[in-house]
Amino acid sequence: MKKVVDVSIPLGPVHPCWKEPARVKCETRGEKVLAAEVELGYMKKGIERIMKGRPWQEVLFLAERVCGICSVIHNMVFIEGMEAVSGIAVPDRAAYLRVIVNELDRIQSHLLANFSFCYTIEHETLAMYLLNTRERAMDCLERITGARVNKAFMIPGGVRFDLRDNDRAALLTDLDWIQNEVDRYTRMFDTGPLIATRTKGVGILTQEQARIARAVGPTARASGIAEDVRLAHPTYRKLNFAPLVRMEGDNHARIMLRFGEIFQSIGLIHRCLSDLPEGPIRGGGTCGAGETVSRGEAPRGELSYFILSDEYGRIVDIAIRTPSIMNIDACTHFMLPGVTSLADVTSVFVSADPCIACNER
Amino acid sequence: MNLLQDAKNWVRARSIHVAYVDVGSCNGCDIEVLACLAPRYDIEQYGILVHNNPREADILLVVGAMTPQWIDKLPALWAKIPAPKAAIAIGNCPISGCVYNRRETYILGPVSKYIPIAAEVPGCPPRPTEILSAVLSVAPTVFRDYEVKRP
Amino acid sequence: MRSVFWYLREFLRVPWIHAFLFAKTAPLLTPPYFREYPSLTDVECTHCFSCRMICPAPGAIEVLQEGGAWHPVIHRGHCLRCGLCVEACPEGVLSSGRILRWQEEDRTSFHATFHIAVDHTKCMRCGNCCVSCPVNKEQDPQMASGGHSSNDEVIMKIAGGKHTVIHEDRCVGCRTCEGACPNSAIQVARILEGLQGVAEG
Repeated sequence: MKKVVDVSIPLGPVHPCWKEPARVKCETRGEKVLAAEVELGYMKKGIERIMKGRPWQEVLFLAERVCGICSVIHNMVFIEGMEAVSGIAVPDRAAYLRVIVNELDRIQSHLLANFSFCYTIEHETLAMYLLNTRERAMDCLERITGARVNKAFMIPGGVRFDLRDNDRAALLTDLDWIQNEVDRYTRMFDTGPLIATRTKGVGILTQEQARIARAVGPTARASGIAEDVRLAHPTYRKLNFAPLVRMEGDNHARIMLRFGEIFQSIGLIHRCLSDLPEGPIRGGGTCGAGETVSRGEAPRGELSYFILSDEYGRIVDIAIRTPSIMNIDACTHFMLPGVTSLADVTSVFVSADPCIACNER
Repeated sequence: MNLLQDAKNWVRARSIHVAYVDVGSCNGCDIEVLACLAPRYDIEQYGILVHNNPREADILLVVGAMTPQWIDKLPALWAKIPAPKAAIAIGNCPISGCVYNRRETYILGPVSKYIPIAAEVPGCPPRPTEILSAVLSVAPTVFRDYEVKRP
Repeated sequence: MRSVFWYLREFLRVPWIHAFLFAKTAPLLTPPYFREYPSLTDVECTHCFSCRMICPAPGAIEVLQEGGAWHPVIHRGHCLRCGLCVEACPEGVLSSGRILRWQEEDRTSFHATFHIAVDHTKCMRCGNCCVSCPVNKEQDPQMASGGHSSNDEVIMKIAGGKHTVIHEDRCVGCRTCEGACPNSAIQVARILEGLQGVAEG
C-alpha cells in the first residue's frame, strides 16, 4: 500500500548531527514522520576480505579498526576466539586487566554516545561537560595501554602491559572524579525540564518491538529486555555481574541506562582492582587450527566473531556481526515512524547510538 | 594592499569555520576531531568553529580511507565550499590507506587524487593536539592574501 | 534590578575581563606514557628484521643500510604507533613511550617461528623469492637471477627445476619474498607467541 506523503526528506550523508555518513530518508506528512529508511554503504572497506590469510598480529589491528570507538571489545572478542580455537589459557591477572580496560572503554564510549545525544538536542553545556569527563577516561586508558583510541592491548595468552602501582592509584582517583561528575550530570539530565520535553516519550521502542527487531545492548535493555553477553563471560561471572534494565523504552530511558552502565562499569573496575591477583600477564601459546564463534558485549550490544583458522594460526574465514545493524533496524522500523517532529528524527537516531563504521566494515 | 584590506584579512583569518567529512574511517580519527571540541583542547578558543556545513566552511577536514561511494560525492562536496578553502587530511587513511591498503581492499585512496590536500596529519589516529596544531598552522594561510587575490 | 547589579559586579571585575580576553587552556603536552612514533636509541641495529616481521601496517617500516650501518626507518602516514616493533626488537634499537622500560621490568617478549609454503601449481620457478631474500644474500652473495646456488646454507633455492626450501629455521619472516613473487605463490606463515619471563633468543 502506497502511503500518502507530503514530502520525502533525506538527511545525510553529510549532516551536522551524525558524525558518520548515513542517509535517513523520512516520509513525512506535515511534521509527522510516517516511515523511515536508512541507506548505508558509505563506509564499506572490505575488512573481512582483507583479514583472510593473515595471522593474528595483523588481523588484530584490522579488528580494532572495525570500530574506533569500541576498539577494545573487538580486540577482546577476536583474541578470545583465537584462544578458544587453539586452547590457550589466560593467566588470571591478564583476564582481570582485560576486564578493566574493556570497562574503561565502555565508560568512554557511553560518555561519547551521551555527548552526541546532548549535542543533537542542542544542550551544548551538558554535552561539553560529558566530553570533558570522557577525556579523563581516555587518560586512564592511555596510562594503562599507551594509546588513546586503538590500543592493541590484548594478545593471545594475555595482555601486552602490566598495571603499575602508581597508574593504579591514578586510575582510582580518576574513577572517583568521573563518578562524582557523572553523578552530577545524571541528575542534571534526569531533572532538566527542557531535556524532558525532548526525551520523555519520544522514540518509544516497546518490549515486543525490541524483540521483533532483535534490538541488542542498551537499546534493548532500555526496553525491558535483560540481555547481556557479559553474563556468559567467565571473568564477569566471578565479579557477580547483573545487567541493568529500564522499562520505558524512550530516549530518556536509553540515555539514563547508559549513565547507569557507567556507574556499573566503575563498580566492576573497583571490584577488579581489589581482586586483582598477582602473577604473570602472558601465558604464551601459539594459535592453531579450528572453528569457533566468539561473543562479547560491546558498548552498543552483542558482538560476535565467527573464526575459522588454519594450522599456522592464519584466518581462513571470518564473519563479524556487529550490534549496530540491529539497533539501526529497530530505529528505522519502530522508533522513527510516529515521531511527531522532524527535529526529533536526529535525536532519536542518535539515541540508539548507531555506529556506521561497525556496520559496514 | 591597503589598511582596510589588511584588517579584513586579519579578522577573517581569526574566525575559521571547519567542516569535516568522513569518507570511510574507522571512527577513530572521527572522535579525535570531536575531542578537539572538548574543553581540554577547546578548538573554539582559537576562533575556529566546527560548523560541519560545507557551504559555510573554510577548512575541510577529510577523515577516512576513500571508499567507492565517495568518489563522486567528495569532489561535489569540495565544489560546494566557497573560496578560499583548504583541505586537511586527518590520520593515516587519507594519506596512505593505513591497514586497509592491501590487495583485497575496496578503498580507492589516497584522497589527494580527488581533491587538493593542503596539509596532512599522520597518525592512527592523531592526537587532538596534533589535529589542533595542523588546523592552526593552515588557518592563517587561507585568508592571508584573500582580499588582494579576490576577483 | 538586583540581578543587573549582580551581573555588573560579577563581570566588571578586572580579573574576569582579563580572563575573558586572554584565557587560553594550558599548553597541551604529549604525556610521556603515550606511544609516540618509535625513535632510535643508540643501540646498533643487527638487521634481524624482527620489526619488519611483526609490523601490521603495509609499508610502515623498512630496515635500510646507510654508510655501512643498518637502521630501521619509520614512515609516517603508514605507521600505526602500535609499538609492536619496539617490543619485538631483541636489541632495543627502537624506543616508544614507556614500552621499552616496561618490557625490561616485566621480562615480556615475542617469539616467532615461520613456515614457508609454496604453491607449486602457481610457482613459475623464476627464483625471484630466492634472490630477494636478505638471508640468502648473506649466505650466498653470488646468487644471481634464477635462484640457483651451489650453497646448501641458504633458506631456499631453485634446485632441479623446482623450488626447494632447505633451511626453514633461518627465515626471519620479513616477507620480502611475498612481495617479490609475481604470482603470489609463496606464503610465509608467521606464528607469533607472546611470552613472559623467558630469556630472549
